[in-house]
Amino acid sequence: MLSLQIWLVQALVVFLTTESMGELVDTCGVISPESPVIRSGSNFTAFCVLKEKCMSIYEVNASHIIWKANRVLIPEEQYTVINTTTSSVTFTNKSLSNVQLICNILAFGQIEMNVYGVKMRVGFPPEKPKNLSCIVNEGKKMMCQWDPGRETHLETNFTLKSEWATEKFPDCKAKPDTPTSCTVAFSPVYFVNVEVWVEAQNALGKVTSNHINFDPIDKVKPNPPHNLSVSNSEELSSILKLTWINPRIMNVIRLKYDIHYKTKDASAWSQIPSEDTATTRTSFTVQDLKPFTEYVFRIRCMKEDGKGFWSDWSEDASGITYEARPSKAPSFWYKITSHTQGSRSVQLIWKPLPPFEANGKILDYEVTLTRWKSRSQNYTVNDTDLTVNLTNDRYIATLAARNLVSKSDASILTIPAFDFQATHPVTDLKAYPKDNMLWVEWTPPSKAVRKYIVEWCVLSDTSPCIPDWQQESSTIRRTYLRGKLVESKCYLITVTPVYGDGPGSPESTKAYLKQAAPSKGPTVRTKKVGKNEAVLEWDQLPVDVQNGFIRNYTIFYKTSNGNETAVNVDPSHTEYTLSSLTSDTLYMVRMTAYTDEGGKDGPEFTFTTPKFAQGEIEAIVVPVCLAFLLTTLLGVLFCFNKRDLIKKHIWPNVPDPSKSHIAQWSPHTPPRHNFNSKDQIYSDGTFTDVSVVEIEANDKKSFPEDLKSLDLFKKEKISTEGHSSGIGGSSCMSSSRPSISSSDENESAQNTSSTVQYSTVVHSGYRHQVPSVQVFSRSESTQPLLDSEERPEDLQLVDNVESGDGILPRQQYFKQNCSQPKTSPDISHFERSNPVSSGNEEDCLRLKQQQISDRISQSCGSEQMKMFQEVSATDAFGSETEGQVERFETVGIEATVDEGMPKSYLPQTVRQGGYMPQ
Amino acid sequence: MDLRAGDSWGMLACLCTVLWHLPAVPALNRTGDPGPGPSIQKTYDLTRYLEHQLRSLAGTYLNYLGPPFNEPDFNPPRLGAETLPRATVNLEVWRSLNDKLRLTQNYEAYSHLLCYLRGLNRQAATAELRHSLAHFCTSLQGLLGSIAGVMAALGYPLPQPLPGIEPTWAPGPAHSDFLQKMDDFWLLKELQTWLWRSAKDFNRLKKKMQPPAAAVTLHLEAHGF
Repeated sequence: MLSLQIWLVQALVVFLTTESMGELVDTCGVISPESPVIRSGSNFTAFCVLKEKCMSIYEVNASHIIWKANRVLIPEEQYTVINTTTSSVTFTNKSLSNVQLICNILAFGQIEMNVYGVKMRVGFPPEKPKNLSCIVNEGKKMMCQWDPGRETHLETNFTLKSEWATEKFPDCKAKPDTPTSCTVAFSPVYFVNVEVWVEAQNALGKVTSNHINFDPIDKVKPNPPHNLSVSNSEELSSILKLTWINPRIMNVIRLKYDIHYKTKDASAWSQIPSEDTATTRTSFTVQDLKPFTEYVFRIRCMKEDGKGFWSDWSEDASGITYEARPSKAPSFWYKITSHTQGSRSVQLIWKPLPPFEANGKILDYEVTLTRWKSRSQNYTVNDTDLTVNLTNDRYIATLAARNLVSKSDASILTIPAFDFQATHPVTDLKAYPKDNMLWVEWTPPSKAVRKYIVEWCVLSDTSPCIPDWQQESSTIRRTYLRGKLVESKCYLITVTPVYGDGPGSPESTKAYLKQAAPSKGPTVRTKKVGKNEAVLEWDQLPVDVQNGFIRNYTIFYKTSNGNETAVNVDPSHTEYTLSSLTSDTLYMVRMTAYTDEGGKDGPEFTFTTPKFAQGEIEAIVVPVCLAFLLTTLLGVLFCFNKRDLIKKHIWPNVPDPSKSHIAQWSPHTPPRHNFNSKDQIYSDGTFTDVSVVEIEANDKKSFPEDLKSLDLFKKEKISTEGHSSGIGGSSCMSSSRPSISSSDENESAQNTSSTVQYSTVVHSGYRHQVPSVQVFSRSESTQPLLDSEERPEDLQLVDNVESGDGILPRQQYFKQNCSQPKTSPDISHFERSNPVSSGNEEDCLRLKQQQISDRISQSCGSEQMKMFQEVSATDAFGSETEGQVERFETVGIEATVDEGMPKSYLPQTVRQGGYMPQ
Repeated sequence: MDLRAGDSWGMLACLCTVLWHLPAVPALNRTGDPGPGPSIQKTYDLTRYLEHQLRSLAGTYLNYLGPPFNEPDFNPPRLGAETLPRATVNLEVWRSLNDKLRLTQNYEAYSHLLCYLRGLNRQAATAELRHSLAHFCTSLQGLLGSIAGVMAALGYPLPQPLPGIEPTWAPGPAHSDFLQKMDDFWLLKELQTWLWRSAKDFNRLKKKMQPPAAAVTLHLEAHGF
């Protein structure tokens, strides 16, 4: 509508400005049809006809017409120019939307001007209304409703038409907001049939529903009966009489009723049988009600023949039936509260009758107590207990409840004599929850039972057992506890059969109304921890936290990073032994107690298994100590026995210089003991050729030793310096070298303090051997001597190089090599480097030289040559420092030569370090 | 025939007008497919309903007329309202009426009464009273239709209205206000009497129409003629 208004305003402006003044406002053209209504899905064509006058003013014709729908240009394919004045536009399969269609012209070929606009409405023709039905609310006018069918999207009028055979009634036009119903304007005339139908009409069509013909009285919904009241009868406590006032339509039609009733607290209604209320009436007596009970009633009515509608329900009315005699005797029991010599304090207890048995307000209770063969005592009690002092004799107690009408039957209870022995308990006592109640079941005893007393109380560690009780008749085998029970509490249920002569033996069981998981888990702890096992113990859970029967325990244990292992334990246990544990491991253990409803973890407990079992350390240590002791003892014994032999092995044979022939020979050294051959090998480093004689003297003795040393030598090749590690190794070298290097200045070397100490050792006692030259005495006497003993050539080489006095060592080498036919090629270079031959060793020398010549042809030969050239150069320098340096190089070369050897040299640096201080 | 003795030309005219408004006879009975029984029962119920309706209407209208007409023991002698069809009839005569005559008498009586009642409606002062009277008129018209339906179902022709008679309630200028109220009183009273009588008529008819079957009924009807 707004767009239409805008368009109108625009059109008005256009024409006011374009038309000459004074003329009537006119449009430049018109669209036909003027206000189209289109059936959805159909095609539609609109025409725009221009006026001649307009065409000449604006120099336009029909081909200048452009169409717009909702301000959007319509594609030219939809236009058709019919003649010079008329253009049409066609819509196919028009969808459900209203469109503002505007015809425009391009004035002077370019200025767009609105000519005319129409609004297209799209919708459906009405469908035939269905399910027409009418209702006549009593005292009101008839209302009919129907199903209008599909939405038309157009303004659709529904008209309810009604007529008699003889007369038509005014139409009832449905209001737009309630197009599915209409209330006629006239009051209905009952008992005259009326014909009713609905007409639906819109711009696209008109359709009529099926006609229905009915008597309005058959469509009546009466008003509900009112003033419903309830009265009781003193004569009959089981009836209540309802009275009500019928609706006015009762004057015209017969009614039937529907009466509902219920007790005041009930939620569901009961219905009076419909056949009892099928005729018009104003009162009804409801029978078979319970005495002294409040009932609520409601009533509704409808036409007797069932045509029409039920009225609404009347307002509720309630009434109480009259009281009746209590239908049952109260439950009756007793407790002996105290007993002193000769008398008992007995509390007689009873239960108030439930309302359905009391049948009225209980005014009081009548109690009689009859001692054996004596007069009875009467009590009237308002309360539900009575405490009396009785003798130890047998008593009969009776109890009756009294209300307004009468008193109940009497409950009879025998209070046995003091010395009465209870017998015959019930058997197979069971208690179990079912349907949210706790049921008790038992097998009756063989003796005739008068009644059963069921007692129960909550078992708790914190509060005492306060029993509740109930009475069951002798025929009962199963009952439920009619008290207010709590879930997760342990009930101790006791069933006592009551016989004619007194109560029987009680029988007890425990049960839960509903179990739950325990509220606390068991606290587990270790009782004993072994290397591979741990004994766990725990306390039984208190009954207050059990919340159910503990069915089993589960022990979970794990190491700090391992998987958890679970063990189920029977609930009767309070201790469990975990086996197959790993020693020296931290274990975390916790315990879960399970009822039928779930479990609860206890706190986690941590323990560590010991590394050794108890006594294991002792078992290991004691034997070891013993073994050690024994070994030591044996060793000592052995040493003691073989002390001479040991001595010989441990302490090297240090030649006694004083016994040496050279000592006698040397001008510096006083004559000493002779060296043995072995020691001579290296101690003779600076010896002159003269020592050869001595060696020969000891020849036989020294050979085995030499062989031994050579074997070792072969094995370790020339890694002599590397081999110097060990206790005496480094000290040997460090101590020997300075002495060697200082060999040129023997005197100065002798003056060092260390020399003095070593000298002392040597001098004081090595088998009375005295080093031939004082300068070397230190190195010869220390432990490294042993080492040197195995590698004589090493020292000798060094000695040779540095001292420049290589004659004797060379001889020794040759000697050794001679004694060793299988000489290693590495050694050969020494041989070669020492061309000076000893007369005694001629043959050997020749052999060696031949070997060497073979060797020279091999790769290493040149290097070896070079090495010895350098060595000789060093000799030539004669400088101590340079000599050392050169020696290092030499050693390095040696190392190079020895490449590929299994052992590497540690040596050079060590040796350097060892020398540096000097 | 006794009834007709007191009829006047005006009354006939009114009857004619009413009949003129009734549609053709076959169209009257749209409900009585299973014979005339149900429509007789319905007509009987309608008379009871109208009787009940009239009771409250008459009370209202007599109160409107004011004392002495609304007094319970007001029982004037019938003097003026001679044109009203008289319902009271000798019991023997009533028993001896055949069904056709009985129905025809009812039909003609209500035609006249409806005509007078419309005049009463036009004079009523209060809207509520007019509304009640209008509804009663509609109902009475329904009764006429019902009777016509029963007659059609039983195959009796409707009484032909006498043409040329003006069907108006035209109290003469000589009537005083009191006498006019007296006419109104007698109209309501006669209407009530007619409804009682009609109830009896249709009850009698109903009893006759109850099974034994329609053939028997027809035989009895024939015998009655």
